[in-house]
Amino acid sequence: MESEVVRTEMVLAPTLPFKKMQTADKYPKGQSRGRQWKHLRHLLQSADAFSMPPDRPNYMNIQSPPSIYPPKRYCDLTGFEAPYVDPRTKLRYADPEVFKQIRMLPDEYVQSRAAVELCQDQDYISVANYGLLWYFRLPAASQQRNRVWDRNMDVWTW
Amino acid sequence: MSSVTRPRREADFARFPSSTPIVIDNGASTFRIGWAGEAEPRLSFRNVVQRPRHRSTGETVSIVGDTDPSLMKFFDCTRSAVRSPFDDDVVYQFEYMEYILDYGFDRLGANSEVGHPILMTECECNPSFSRVRMSELLFETYGVPSIAFGIDNAFSYKYNQKLGNCNEDGLAISCEHGTCHVVPFLKGQPVLGACCRTNVGGFHITDFLRQLLSLKYPYHMASITWDKAEELKKEHCYIALDYMAELQIFKNNKEEADEKMRYWQLPWVPPPKDEPPSEEELARKAALKEKASQRLRDMAAAKRSQKIVELEKQLSYLEEVMEQLDEAEEQEATAILGRSGYLSQQEIKSAILKATQSLRKAKGESNGNDEKTDASAADKYPLVSVPDETLTPEQLKEKKKQILLKTTTEGKLRAKQKRAEEEALREKQEEKRRAENPELYLEELRSRYSELSEKFEQRKRQKVNGGQTNGNHSSSGGVGRGERLNAAQKERMRLLASAAFDRGKGEDTFGMRDEDWLVYNKMSKDNDDDSNDDDESELVRIASKLQEIDPTFVSKSEAVQLTPEPPKIRPLTAEDYRIAIGIERFRCPEVLFQPGMIGIDQAGIDEMVSISLRRLMEDESVKERLCQSILVTGGSSLFPGMIPRLESGIRQYRPYLAPLKLVRAADPILDAWRGAAAFAASSKFGKQTFSLADYREHGENLFHRYNIVYSP
Repeated sequence: MESEVVRTEMVLAPTLPFKKMQTADKYPKGQSRGRQWKHLRHLLQSADAFSMPPDRPNYMNIQSPPSIYPPKRYCDLTGFEAPYVDPRTKLRYADPEVFKQIRMLPDEYVQSRAAVELCQDQDYISVANYGLLWYFRLPAASQQRNRVWDRNMDVWTW
Repeated sequence: MSSVTRPRREADFARFPSSTPIVIDNGASTFRIGWAGEAEPRLSFRNVVQRPRHRSTGETVSIVGDTDPSLMKFFDCTRSAVRSPFDDDVVYQFEYMEYILDYGFDRLGANSEVGHPILMTECECNPSFSRVRMSELLFETYGVPSIAFGIDNAFSYKYNQKLGNCNEDGLAISCEHGTCHVVPFLKGQPVLGACCRTNVGGFHITDFLRQLLSLKYPYHMASITWDKAEELKKEHCYIALDYMAELQIFKNNKEEADEKMRYWQLPWVPPPKDEPPSEEELARKAALKEKASQRLRDMAAAKRSQKIVELEKQLSYLEEVMEQLDEAEEQEATAILGRSGYLSQQEIKSAILKATQSLRKAKGESNGNDEKTDASAADKYPLVSVPDETLTPEQLKEKKKQILLKTTTEGKLRAKQKRAEEEALREKQEEKRRAENPELYLEELRSRYSELSEKFEQRKRQKVNGGQTNGNHSSSGGVGRGERLNAAQKERMRLLASAAFDRGKGEDTFGMRDEDWLVYNKMSKDNDDDSNDDDESELVRIASKLQEIDPTFVSKSEAVQLTPEPPKIRPLTAEDYRIAIGIERFRCPEVLFQPGMIGIDQAGIDEMVSISLRRLMEDESVKERLCQSILVTGGSSLFPGMIPRLESGIRQYRPYLAPLKLVRAADPILDAWRGAAAFAASSKFGKQTFSLADYREHGENLFHRYNIVYSP
């Protein structure tokens, strides 16, 4: 190890005196650990009913429902209010000038812009039936929740 | 990030008796650890782990928390990402949790077993699988005697209640890294049934900012990292009191919008300007060139003289041999011939001739071309002049061949001469015309050029277009009508169909005439007609002429090359390196109030308050009491303008003129830990924990009803 690295003690020592079982033994080298860890949504789905009784507050219950207000429509390029939608790319725009720019965008721009505003115009289902509501929303909303930004690779991972 | 100091190892671990609890605030953004009863946590670092490979030793190491970028060059970080054990606000990945706890305890100074009770914070209604694994980890790996779990927002509220910021009944609005919570408190206890959680937080705000900036400045996508975006967010973002009004300001009002813009200048070095070379430079370069060319010429002269010497030598040798042959008799002649390597006198004679020729050429004298052709003619066609009767049948055949060869070569020569003559004639005519009327001549020439170039272009376009439409259509899967819209394409298909179709009966007369083979020309997709070449050569000729006489003429081909260049590419100036953050300043934190902006279909924090109050299912007086003591806490609540906006937002849901009081926590970031430390130091803490024995006895069921009592 280089002396500066050792001096700053930034690296975790492989064995620590206060641990009963060291991490190297617990997670032996060579196993791909990434697969072992289920994501939160999987864990929540597979959690049995006893641990999450619906009458008591549990992690799912206290989730807030969709807003009762209709979603405001904002332009995908400038951020202003945008009442219009481009039929070809499904992006929203505020002005004719913005529309010109949208039409001139290359393809991958359109994809990335569309990814930023995912379900902006998704209409809400009525707030009343929570149980049914949650069931329908689970794929979309929880998917956004459980994305992790992989900072080194600059991509979304699940 | 550049001045990151790594925490030192605390030295006083042994000083604390084993009943003193260690307080851990396990947050999605930072991990804080310290002793109960103290005012500040001993350690706080970012709750992330990365596992890069050390370059020199090759082993994989773990690094917890923020890192100094200058030290990271010793590690290979390409396959290790910065990971967090959290997903939203629940710990799900316990391997990284273990690394973080390792680091935390290590820095706190633990060297033998961690024999202190631990108070750890969690989110509201933490799922039991997370609690189970956390307890397992703490009990079995670290040897902790007893654990207590508490909600961080509740600790913060309690702490502020002690400070007097809020009452016993109230509401806590907390905006954290991954989520936002609203928790009502009744008689000092959080009412978990009326809790509300939205899955937007500081992380989503930063990410939104990063995405917007990257899309706006794609050239700088590499510089706009998540960490940089977080810095920008903390420095520049604010919450607009009325979002739509702010939008209008930016849309319509130029001066106010400019005032609100903030700029981030990226380092930019202007490219070094190419100065026009000075006089000296030019002179020096010219001298160098002269010297180089002089050197080349010397080398060429040396080579030539060498060659001359060699040729002379060879010539003299051959002449010697000739003399010898002339003088010598038969047998000796063959011997001499064998030695010299030639088969007959004739060969030697021709060799001598060749050598003299090349010698003369090397010396730079006139080319004995005519002599050569004559000589070769005499050599090649010896039989031509001989009359027919004296020859054998074989020789007759030979003679016919030679006659044919001779006539063809003579014919070619004559044709070339005629063409040269024609050229000369044309040149003279043009010169005459030019001399007569230069203007008119120029006009004619120009028009002819434009005509030819037009034709050329059209043909090229046709070819390209035909190919392109073909390509386009075939890529869209359309083999059929689309391919044959062009007239040329139609013709081609017709020919292909008719040619390929074997008629069977009747004679096949294809190929009898020479013109039949021309259909292959038409059939092939990329055919270069001969006429094309002629036109092309004429085009080139005219272009060169025009360039000579017309100063304003620019060859079409050059002009054509310039235009396809995309108009966007221009040298980047300092402007391009300045990232302007205008509308994003308040657009990004707006996500807290309108999660629909990034696609999360949930209520914003002002609406969450009304939802929580509704879930409480109490009567109006209670709600009023709650609304008079609202605490705003959490790291993401530090945006300027948060309190007024929240107040106006909540007022929309309350009855007209209902009293509202919002208070920001004394220290939104550290209050959770402080509250937890104060709670742990109180005497009743011991009763709230559960130990290993309890855990073994009840197992997972323990957590279904486990909730600590916060009120003193």
